[in-house]
Amino acid sequence: MSRLASRVPGASKRLAPDEDELCNVCKSSRYLNPDMRFLVNPECYHKMCESCVDRIFTHGPAPCPLAGCNKTLRKARFRTQTFEDLKVEREVDIRRRIAKAMNKQESDFERLIDYNNYLEIVEEVTWNLILNIDVEETERKLRLWEEAQKAELNPNATFRRVTDQPEASQLSDSSHVVLKKGGTQRRALATSSGNTSTPSGTEESGKRDTGFVFQGLKKRKLPPPEKAFDPFDGWSIEPQYYALQENHNYQWLTTYDSDPAYFAGGWQTRDYYSRMMEEAFGGMCIFLEDEKVAPLGSGDDDVGTQNAANAAIGMKDVVMDDVF
Amino acid sequence: MEIRRPPNSDLPLVTGPSCIAELEVLFPYPRVYPEQYAYMCDLKRTLDAGGHCVLEMPSGTGKTVSLLSLIVAYQLSSAEKRKLIYCSRTMSEIEKALAELRGLMKYRTQELGYEEEFRGLGLTSRKNLCLHPTVKREKSGTIVDAKCRSLTAGFVKEKKERGEDVEICVYHDNLDLLEPHNLIPPGVWTFDGMLKYGEQHKQCPYFTARRMMPYCDVIIYSYHYLLDPKIADRVSKELSKDCIVVFDEAHNIDNVCIESLSIDLTEDALRKATRGANNLERKITEMKSTDAEKLQNEYAKLVEGLRAADEARDENAFMSNPALPDDLLTEAVPGNIRRAEHFVAFLKRFVEYLKTRMKVLHVISETPPSFLSHLKELTFIERKPLRFCAERLTSLVRTLELTNIEDYQPLQEVATFATLIATYETGFLLILEPFESATATVPNPILHFTCLDAAIAIKPVFERFSSVIVTSGTLSPLDMYPRMLNFNTVVQESFTMTLTRKSFLPMIVDRGSDQNQITSQFEHRNDGPVIRNFGNLLIEFCKLTPDGVVVFFPSYLYMESIISQWQGMGVLDTVWKYKLILVETPDAQETSLALETFRTACNNGRGAVLLCVARGKVSEGIDFDHHYGRTVINMGVPYQYTESRILKARLEFLRETYRIKEADFLSFDAMRHAAQCLGRVIRGKDDYGIMVLADKRFGKKITQLPKWIQMALETKNTKLSVDQAVSHAKAFLREMSVPWSRGEQEGHSSWSMADLERHLEKKRVEAISGTEHPGMRAAEGRAERPRVVEVAKGEDDEFGGAGMDEVMAGLDA
Repeated sequence: MSRLASRVPGASKRLAPDEDELCNVCKSSRYLNPDMRFLVNPECYHKMCESCVDRIFTHGPAPCPLAGCNKTLRKARFRTQTFEDLKVEREVDIRRRIAKAMNKQESDFERLIDYNNYLEIVEEVTWNLILNIDVEETERKLRLWEEAQKAELNPNATFRRVTDQPEASQLSDSSHVVLKKGGTQRRALATSSGNTSTPSGTEESGKRDTGFVFQGLKKRKLPPPEKAFDPFDGWSIEPQYYALQENHNYQWLTTYDSDPAYFAGGWQTRDYYSRMMEEAFGGMCIFLEDEKVAPLGSGDDDVGTQNAANAAIGMKDVVMDDVF
Repeated sequence: MEIRRPPNSDLPLVTGPSCIAELEVLFPYPRVYPEQYAYMCDLKRTLDAGGHCVLEMPSGTGKTVSLLSLIVAYQLSSAEKRKLIYCSRTMSEIEKALAELRGLMKYRTQELGYEEEFRGLGLTSRKNLCLHPTVKREKSGTIVDAKCRSLTAGFVKEKKERGEDVEICVYHDNLDLLEPHNLIPPGVWTFDGMLKYGEQHKQCPYFTARRMMPYCDVIIYSYHYLLDPKIADRVSKELSKDCIVVFDEAHNIDNVCIESLSIDLTEDALRKATRGANNLERKITEMKSTDAEKLQNEYAKLVEGLRAADEARDENAFMSNPALPDDLLTEAVPGNIRRAEHFVAFLKRFVEYLKTRMKVLHVISETPPSFLSHLKELTFIERKPLRFCAERLTSLVRTLELTNIEDYQPLQEVATFATLIATYETGFLLILEPFESATATVPNPILHFTCLDAAIAIKPVFERFSSVIVTSGTLSPLDMYPRMLNFNTVVQESFTMTLTRKSFLPMIVDRGSDQNQITSQFEHRNDGPVIRNFGNLLIEFCKLTPDGVVVFFPSYLYMESIISQWQGMGVLDTVWKYKLILVETPDAQETSLALETFRTACNNGRGAVLLCVARGKVSEGIDFDHHYGRTVINMGVPYQYTESRILKARLEFLRETYRIKEADFLSFDAMRHAAQCLGRVIRGKDDYGIMVLADKRFGKKITQLPKWIQMALETKNTKLSVDQAVSHAKAFLREMSVPWSRGEQEGHSSWSMADLERHLEKKRVEAISGTEHPGMRAAEGRAERPRVVEVAKGEDDEFGGAGMDEVMAGLDA
């Protein structure tokens, strides 16, 4: 590859002539004011100098001062441009908006060609917005798609619906939140909640307008519902080899039942039984050989007792119902 | 090879079956040098074993002819015809090799009594091979390429057939009338021969060579056709797997690899790229209104996959080049750049992004993943479509039937950049330098996309071809190349020049007559005494050397400063009394004029001194044989400019990836260039010359010189002052002036058939005794093997040896 190493003398046209240097509003140029900065507003992408922005928009929103542009601009949204070409600047802004809504990955599709078709449709949507073709229709579709995605993607929402929580609590919950918010947001939320409530009804019936339809899109698998929290992770302390009886009817035991010296501490006779049984059966079906074989190296088995427990479960023939 | 007489039929050297492991080699000269014989043996070994090899043999010992005669013999004796791809560096070297091959084939015909079915072709650029009356008048190679394409592209012909009035090239079209596999009769064709044949038969030599490549036995062309991904794609794709690839003059091959994958972008280039993109956009709208069907066709093909868009390509034979991995070629183009207008907008966005990057006023060095993530953040360009950029652009240009391709060169550059940066995560670095120099205040940014890993470009070559032979006059240290280029060798060998008399005198001069040091070290290079001593050295050697003197400096900058100081000291005035002074400049034409004057001065006996630069044009391609160069002086060690960011990045990469230390690489690089300079004066066995290494630092770098120079460098000559060097040189020249005939080297450094047989007999006897005699290796011109110091490993260390390690491992787990 030929290196284009030759630096053209004076190639730097950073300080490009005239139109770059002149503020279209106040007509001052960089020549007089070397520190001049230009700002643009993503509403109309008209370039003006910082002092003009301060002068015109400090007291709240105002129409764009350039002739023929009636957009209302706010000071907060003015920013320095990233790209030299304002068209590209606008394009990137539009892309940012679309990337938020349409962000499928290749793995979301069944086949590569489906993914490529998807990409092309996205590109077309983008270009419609950039070239101002069918903006309203496209926007509408985009909004629908976004909502459909939200409904599908937000696992918490689906989870709540699946577990059949009482409808009332959900309503009260959301209304509680709405009360805290400002007027405009409340309105927005009301419409959106209205929207989300309808799909929950229509989704079962199948079809609904998602704005776009893509072929080969994999159905999103819902994550399996979470089980109740188990602090022992499946490990049980219930006795395996014996059943604890409520009461053993022996003469010499009944004396303890009534002797305050034994139950004053809050102990019941059953606790004594339990303790004794545990001690009697402790170490049952734990084989030292197995303990040894389970080596230090195999780090997968987290504890040695696990092995013993596994071995114990395997030994089904030991049946001990009641030893007494 | 002009030293030896042309083929002498009454003393044929048909080395019999017993000689080179059961292969009959016809050698086109009556005598063979021992090192040539050994070289051929090693080559044969490599070919049989089927692997890569690195061979170093001094220039002027007939490397090319040994290579060609062995490989041709190998080809023609074996059943499956393995093709030879011989790559060299410059046009003149390629031409020399072609002439040598032609001589060899002539000799074979003469010896065998019949003509063998054999084709040997060379390939060079369109500029050198064009016959079209108007196109060939263009001076720049790119314009010739573009004009040729506009006359010969497929769609031009289609238009002609449709009856439109378009200009076409008669020479090219005549090729279609011929049989596609027999465009040119068998034989070896030099470039001149091709041009003449083309003129006679009105056919284009360039396309003849291109199209005949699959049917050739020997192809001779430049490295770039195999290494540069853009060209390799088009030219070398049909070559089969069992080809024998030879890289001759390969000492700079790592730099060629790196250059072929590095791209520099300037603001100017980006502006042109934008203009190119705008032009493309206009063309697309034009085409949409006139010929929308074509765009639709392209689109339909792209939906299927990129490869389907170009059915002419054969899947299996395609050379997987580094810019485009195979999986990419079979995959379909991502949907968002499938439509032409989308793709152009995509390119524009990318160029705009690069422009914003250029505005930064401090140096940035960035890895490709970091660049990509920032790119995605700012412009929503994903990595995948970026990878397809170059191919997509090619396809679009083809569809739009653009003729003035040179306008789209910068855009092409940007697209290649996009593809490379999206393809490779490691081995590349992006360096943005906003200012030309440290002191500049006006920004003039350059975006260097540098390849740090030479192995990337050459990897497909090593993977694809079973035998790759890397050879040159200066490859020491031999193990550096396999490490840098990441390949394994079956044979690594360094040969010396067997000499009857000591015909060259290497010396290291480390101080002047006043005992002050001589060095080009940065801290001392501008000291008065150092410059004076350099001056004295030059004066003394100009006095004593009979004809041409060549002096190499480490850089243009240093050369200029030293010359201006010499002027003040009166050094140049003194030199002027003895020799004409000529200076190399960065300008190629000025330099060639200087060279011509130098030759004239040497020819008419006045003698001249040429001051040039160790990395310049003179040090690489120009030979100073016989009286053109009797003394070569290296003024200082030719280190690279170490403050360069690109070099620093590469050094770091080499250290981290291949464990090559910075200092090792720098010194290796300096020494290979020094060796190249030294090798300029000795171009054959009857040549003689003095080699002076004038820097105290050379003393520690002797081991990095090629073996053949190392062996001639006696210890007493390694620490000389200027006056001592002068007396040694005088003695040497007196010795050289003794009358000497070629006959003296018979049997020792030049073998006839009988000598060869005697040697083989002796070798066989030695082989029975079971020892490899070092004297035998020396007789064959092999350099002594580096002594491998084997560190005896203790039986058990104090911690209980290997057994303990296992226990420790167990505990860790």
